[in-house]
Amino acid sequence: MPSLTEHPRLVAALTRVVPVTLILLAWEGVTRAGWVNPFVFPPVSEIAMRWLALLIDGTLCFPLWETLWRALAGLGAAIAVGVPLGLLMGRVRWAEWFFEPLFSFGFPLPKIALIPLYVHWFGLFSLSKVMLIFTDCLFPMVIFTYHGARGLSQIYLWSAQSRGTGRVRMLWRVVLPLSLASIYDGVQVAVVVAVLVAVVSEMVSGGSGLGQMMIRAYRHGDVRTAFATLLTISLIGYALYKAAQWLRGRLLFWHVAES
Amino acid sequence: MADPCLDLRAVTMRYGEGPDAVAALASIDLAIDDHEFVTIVGPSGCGKSTLLYLVGGFLRPTSGRIELRGRPVTGPGPDRGIVFQRYSLFPWLTVRGNIAYGLEEKGVPRAERDRIVEEHLRLVHLEGFENRYPRELSGGMQQRVALAQTLACQPDILLMDEPFGALDAQTRRILQDEVRRIWRRDTKTVLFVTHDVEEAVALGTCIVVMSARPGRIKEVIARDFDVADVDEFEANPAFAALRLRIWRSVKQEVEAARP
Amino acid sequence: MSSRARSYWAGALARLLPLALVLAAWQAASMSGLLPKAVLPSFGEVAASLGAMLRSGEIVPHTLASFARAGAGFGVAVAGGIVLGILMAQVRFVERAVEPVLLLIYPVPKPALIPLFMIWLGIGDFSKVTVIALACLVPVVIATFNGARGVDEMLLWSARARGTSERRILWRVVLPAALPQIAAGVRTAIAVAIIVLVSSEFISAETGLGYLIFSYGGVGADDAMLAVVIYLAALGYLLDRLYLAGLRRLMAWHAFAH
Repeated sequence: MPSLTEHPRLVAALTRVVPVTLILLAWEGVTRAGWVNPFVFPPVSEIAMRWLALLIDGTLCFPLWETLWRALAGLGAAIAVGVPLGLLMGRVRWAEWFFEPLFSFGFPLPKIALIPLYVHWFGLFSLSKVMLIFTDCLFPMVIFTYHGARGLSQIYLWSAQSRGTGRVRMLWRVVLPLSLASIYDGVQVAVVVAVLVAVVSEMVSGGSGLGQMMIRAYRHGDVRTAFATLLTISLIGYALYKAAQWLRGRLLFWHVAES
Repeated sequence: MADPCLDLRAVTMRYGEGPDAVAALASIDLAIDDHEFVTIVGPSGCGKSTLLYLVGGFLRPTSGRIELRGRPVTGPGPDRGIVFQRYSLFPWLTVRGNIAYGLEEKGVPRAERDRIVEEHLRLVHLEGFENRYPRELSGGMQQRVALAQTLACQPDILLMDEPFGALDAQTRRILQDEVRRIWRRDTKTVLFVTHDVEEAVALGTCIVVMSARPGRIKEVIARDFDVADVDEFEANPAFAALRLRIWRSVKQEVEAARP
Repeated sequence: MSSRARSYWAGALARLLPLALVLAAWQAASMSGLLPKAVLPSFGEVAASLGAMLRSGEIVPHTLASFARAGAGFGVAVAGGIVLGILMAQVRFVERAVEPVLLLIYPVPKPALIPLFMIWLGIGDFSKVTVIALACLVPVVIATFNGARGVDEMLLWSARARGTSERRILWRVVLPAALPQIAAGVRTAIAVAIIVLVSSEFISAETGLGYLIFSYGGVGADDAMLAVVIYLAALGYLLDRLYLAGLRRLMAWHAFAH
């Protein structure tokens, strides 16, 4: 049998997997041994079983769909509005003068505090949630697009001008492609924000979705379902983040922005 | 004859292991006497910086011995002062703090420290800049501080790794004169790596030409004439002849390295 | 006043002008009847409501309650996060052990942990503080780790060549070199703390600014609700500015982006 030191990659893989496995095993062992109240702290295997059961019988599917579409709709709207606005701010003096202070002042503010106002304006259901997700995601989209459009080298613009590109075409033909890297960074931030706001708004003002499912599980003291819901929320967050990363360098995002 | 200040015997250096290993240096033998100004010139990638890092003790040779005043080099230490092309200075310390750094580490008392710092500020003509931070200085001034910081530690040998490589031609010329002046005053032993043949000839009393990778010492040439400052070399036919001779030697290696 | 200071204040005022324009437009729309009170109370009414709350002192205990929760969680996270991040950067084993756990909790929207922690730790402050601490810990650990791991090797070499021992290098080089990144991580943590705080106070609390917003919203007192929202936003903004000003003072050597 080969010694461990001869296989640094194997060691690396093991040290990655072993700690998590140990934590899960310890969790399972402690709960099975009855050292903690299984009602409050159930074994990890039972949580996994619950998650599978909820997935198979469809209980998870509808809330999952609700949360996902709200997050994506709000995010999409924020991209569709934020990118053109950011480009405009980056290249047009008066737009920069007016919008830049508003957005950089508003960026760090907790938009979540607006939930009651949005419920008052747009009702208890999906519209208020999508609008809040849109509002919150708009800030990173605008700020990142603006910094990308502003920071690009003047040389590119000069060479496009000398080839006869007009002022408006310049935004789409030159400024947008050059700002794409920064815009993608904005999308990465906004994706995380979208899932967070979707879940919190569902927890606070109901209207189905995973957030509400979580709160309901809490009210019933059903830790297993709460954990299963949390797992699902985390998977959505992770999947969307990875998807945004995957989209980097692909032109799909470009189509969304141009439509 | 006295023992050499620095003595390298059969030093080899390989990066990596097994079939992927890259031979950087192939058997280097080099003895440097006290008060010598040795420049090392060679094609890029020939391992001249590696050689300097080995003497500095930052890297370990694969085989061979490196001795400073008869003691083997086992790691970095203040007996060998080093100036890198960049990153020699700590950005969070002022000019004064940077120059005093090595003295603090040595435990030099405060009054003595202040006196040495003042002396070295004068030496590199940076009086009045002692409270500036590195980012507030030009590249040339930063390298002056790095030089002062290194000299303040009173090293037995001064190691310089393309210290003027990132500077513009005018600043470089002026700093070359400064280094010559300081070397004459203290008659320190200097090991100076450069890829600029003119710099190698103008500074070195002894010029080492290295071969293409894996680096070995191709020839060692003494410069047996001198002038007051670098400008006077311009009209010196012996200088022109030596520069041409060394450039041809280096050019041969550059071409040999090309696939 | 020096000319530099004067141009700084002039620049700051010019940046406030668009904000003043928006507020003026809001007030004008309300007064002309274009914006009915049922949709949005006028800016004047919101400001008056805020003034009344400040004068009566009604808002003070809620501010203190929120501050205590956010501050406790944030403080624990910053202290623990810096230590953990440095340990990860210095000790391979700790890095390999902590990294997967970090990857596991990274994608979790932290407010979603609130219900679970309320089951475990009760609905009191302890569960809120724990979730805030956990949420703030992630950006601090990641920033500290990246900062400490990313220290340029040449800086370490420079220090060693000047006689710094391996034990002192942590204090003399790694920590100062990582400081700008740590500071950025802590700044993120301030924003995170406020978001998780408000979310948790929305979900369950009898005190705090989040509770105040939620309960005013519930009874339709929009002017009072907006007053607290603006108050909270101003507090958050002020904290961020204070933090940045402190950093600039502490780290004059570093070129800040803005």
